[in-house]
Amino acid sequence: MLFWVIAAILTLGASLAVLLPLTGGAKGVSASSDHDLEVYRDQLSELDRDVARGLIQPAEAEEARAEIARRILRLDNPGPAAAARQASMATRLVATVAVLVVPLVSWGLYVKLGSPDLPSQPLSERLAKNPADSSVDELVARAEAHLAANPTDGRGWDVLAPVYLRMQRFSDAVTAYRNAIRLDGDSATRQAGLGEAIANAAGGIVSADAQAAFEAALKLDPANPKATFYLAMGMAQEGRLDEAKAAWQKMLAALPQDSPWRGAVEQALTESAKRSVASGEPANGPGAADVDAASSMSPQDREAMINTMVVGLDEKLRQNPRDAEGWMQLVRSYVVLGKTDQARDALNRSIAVFGADSEEAKKFTAFAASLGLTATE
Amino acid sequence: MIETGHFALVLAFALALVQMLVPLFGARTGNQKMMAVGSPVAVTGFALTALSFAALATAYASSDFSVASVWENSHSLQPLIYKITGTWGNHEGSMLLWVLILTFFGALVAAFGSNLPATLRANVLAVQGAIGATFFLFILTTSNPFTRLNPAPIEGRDLNPILQDLGLAIHPPLLYLGYVGFSICFSFSVAALIEGRIDASWARWVRPWTLVAWMFLTGGIAMGSYWAYYELGWGGFWFWDPVENASFMPWLAGTALLHSAIVMEKRSALKIWTLLLAILTFSLSLLGTFLVRSGVLTSVHAFATDPTRGVFILCILTLFIGGSLALFALRASRLTPGGLFHPVSREGALVLNNLFLTTAAATVLIGTLYPLVVEAFSADKISVGAPFFNLTFGPLMVPLLVVVPFGPLLAWKRGDLLAVAQRLMAAFAAALLAVLVTALFINGASVFAALGVGLAFWLICGALTDLAIKSGLGTAAPGVVIRRFAGLPRSVLGTALAHLGLGLTTLGIVGTLCFGTEKILSMRAGETVELSGHTLRFEGLYPAQGPNYAEARGRFALLGADGSTTGEITSAKRSYPVRQMTTTESGIKTIGFSQLYLSLGDEGTDGSVVVRLWWKPLVTLIWGGGLVMMAGAAMSLLDRRLRVGAPSRRKPAGTVPSASLP
Repeated sequence: MLFWVIAAILTLGASLAVLLPLTGGAKGVSASSDHDLEVYRDQLSELDRDVARGLIQPAEAEEARAEIARRILRLDNPGPAAAARQASMATRLVATVAVLVVPLVSWGLYVKLGSPDLPSQPLSERLAKNPADSSVDELVARAEAHLAANPTDGRGWDVLAPVYLRMQRFSDAVTAYRNAIRLDGDSATRQAGLGEAIANAAGGIVSADAQAAFEAALKLDPANPKATFYLAMGMAQEGRLDEAKAAWQKMLAALPQDSPWRGAVEQALTESAKRSVASGEPANGPGAADVDAASSMSPQDREAMINTMVVGLDEKLRQNPRDAEGWMQLVRSYVVLGKTDQARDALNRSIAVFGADSEEAKKFTAFAASLGLTATE
Repeated sequence: MIETGHFALVLAFALALVQMLVPLFGARTGNQKMMAVGSPVAVTGFALTALSFAALATAYASSDFSVASVWENSHSLQPLIYKITGTWGNHEGSMLLWVLILTFFGALVAAFGSNLPATLRANVLAVQGAIGATFFLFILTTSNPFTRLNPAPIEGRDLNPILQDLGLAIHPPLLYLGYVGFSICFSFSVAALIEGRIDASWARWVRPWTLVAWMFLTGGIAMGSYWAYYELGWGGFWFWDPVENASFMPWLAGTALLHSAIVMEKRSALKIWTLLLAILTFSLSLLGTFLVRSGVLTSVHAFATDPTRGVFILCILTLFIGGSLALFALRASRLTPGGLFHPVSREGALVLNNLFLTTAAATVLIGTLYPLVVEAFSADKISVGAPFFNLTFGPLMVPLLVVVPFGPLLAWKRGDLLAVAQRLMAAFAAALLAVLVTALFINGASVFAALGVGLAFWLICGALTDLAIKSGLGTAAPGVVIRRFAGLPRSVLGTALAHLGLGLTTLGIVGTLCFGTEKILSMRAGETVELSGHTLRFEGLYPAQGPNYAEARGRFALLGADGSTTGEITSAKRSYPVRQMTTTESGIKTIGFSQLYLSLGDEGTDGSVVVRLWWKPLVTLIWGGGLVMMAGAAMSLLDRRLRVGAPSRRKPAGTVPSASLP
């Protein structure tokens, strides 16, 4: 609404800039010969200065003076400045058209080109929104901002890595997994995830690096299905199709009936059967199938993700409790998630940290009250 | 806010249409009111364009990725300064900057044009409005910076890493101020052709605009050259790249215009030629815009590729260049030629200057367009590079530079060449001394190098001679000399400064090309290398993290004669993950006017790294000379004769006209 008001004011201003000179009284305008005379006078005085400085010989100066004088004589004798032809029909017609052109052209074009209903969306505003209203992208951006400030938060990297994988940001996923492994230690899931990220970043090719990661995962958990699956795919890509088939069949036999990997393995087996001769073409792993769903995360998934983030924050505050902003964020998060008990618990813990009489405690109580929450029940 | 900017842009287009038609119609019919519409409309149009630009810059600064161009050319992790400069670091935004500057100059004419004849002012503003209207239409239909995305992505694609540099904050605005500044000269010419007469004040009006545009274009080219020098890591300062040529051609033509406008202003001669030159200069600016913006070239600057845009700009080009030249052919015969002069005179010297400069501009034009023509007709891709320009452009420039010191010393109308030559004896002796010293005392100096140094000193001393003679040095008492020096017209000082700057640039080019040394070698930490008397020790590669890039920094210690560290040079290889691009940050150490320049190459497997090392004697003078030329132009702008008085009816004859700024 505000936009249309501004647009109307701008249009009015622009139209007035056209209209006012057309309706105002005509000022007496000097004829162009007056301007010329002014310049010639100036040239004459300049000539005198040049002579004084020796820039021109006196004889040549005399000649130049005569030239200028001839030009002055040649000036048209204009008579009174032309003011005769005023306010004819044509003027009024042109004035009307000109004044109409401004709003018609601008509004006509804008309606075709503009997006008046779309508000500005500065990034800082989008990131400050309530997490429950945020899209996956925004949540990821928020987590990235957190990790940029606390790059040693291994848990944060661990949460973010699989999300990157599902968003097809594979090189980011590689970095995140590596950071998680470096900071929080090895695990089969992380190594397998790292392998998957490396492979996908290379367009699905199971490279030596990816293979090393999958092998590390199998060392920690010999039954890890992702690592087994991708290693078999690597064999298939290298042309060792029989070995790959054998590995997949062995895997299929060992997998429980309800395992999500069954479909992927069966598909890989039928595909490899179709390709009688081996080729390096990458097969579609389950990672790729997941990826399709990732761009539109289901509400459950999103909630799961928020939960992990909130738990992470809670954990951090236990270790580093003197963080007033963090406490308020935690309390609000629990309230938004509908976990009133945990919210109240967090509020009590925060008050305990700063002391019941502190400024912070008052702020917390007031803040909680604004969310409809009271301390100790 | 962002939509307000979009609306303001559309509104500015509507106003440009009015500005194009109503004053023109008024000037044809002699209607005062219609002619008066031009000024307020030009000022309002500028205000709206500025509002639009501010809205876009705000979107860039706040990372509003709901705007498509922000999403394509920005990233939330970029430092704020590069977020803001990113506004014009892309096709859409740079076109908006182009029209912003165009409307700014239009508004200046409106604001300070009260001393112009009414019809001339109306016609100038109408032509300016016509240029504005076509470019607004171009932006709105093919390159709209306000196209929105819904839903908005959360992260942008980052600005081209080569552009993430302070150079982007300085170079394009200066260059555009130059390019677009010549549009005023163009508008004045076309207005004169429309009227069929050249007012006496015409040249006095065109000259300050030429000076302003020339000053900014000089600065823009110099800064662009320095930016390419340190950012691209090749150690070169000029590559004869078509994009560079695109800015150099208007500069050459503009320099010619600058000089022919003096003749026209002082002696009312060369009127028709000056008019044609003004048209050609802006046409070359438009051609430069076409070359860079249409994507017919592929180089560092050519970040736009879209055939519809190319065709549109080609149409604009045809319309304005073809239209103005056709008008010139029709009307030029109606214009009256001006004063007479002897071949050996100041006027004659300026004509000679014009001949050389326009031929040079034509040479560059051929070298730039020939590959395109070949490509269009035979599908072969050839490139015309330094060898062509060294063979053609160089020989044209040398005689011009040789005669430069004569020009300002010649008298108007009829000069005495012998007397001037005698006055220049001191400068000639100094130049000869420079040649001898170079040839005898500098190892490896060729005859050409020595002559080059001599030419530079000839220019520098010639400019100083001009000042010395005009303030009466050697003939008058010291007190008188100082008083006369202080009383010299600003334009005399400006001329001397500009010619001095030209000499400095020449000296820098000769020094770098003839005495520079280079080394490429593979170094490991702890190793030292010696180049032209400077010893460097490689301290090793260190990883570092920037806001939106990771880099490997190579540190080098500059060692003194006794082996102690006297300075440090850092060169880095940066990798930007978002664009998956690598850039080289060269390491530069300025010693006096010379520079030690190094850049990192590939890393070997054994911990070694390829290092390219240059010693560039006097290289900073190349751009320093450009700055001195700018200062000369600024000095000339302050000259009082450029302030044309407006007629007032009761003024007694002979008084100095009331001052009003150009």
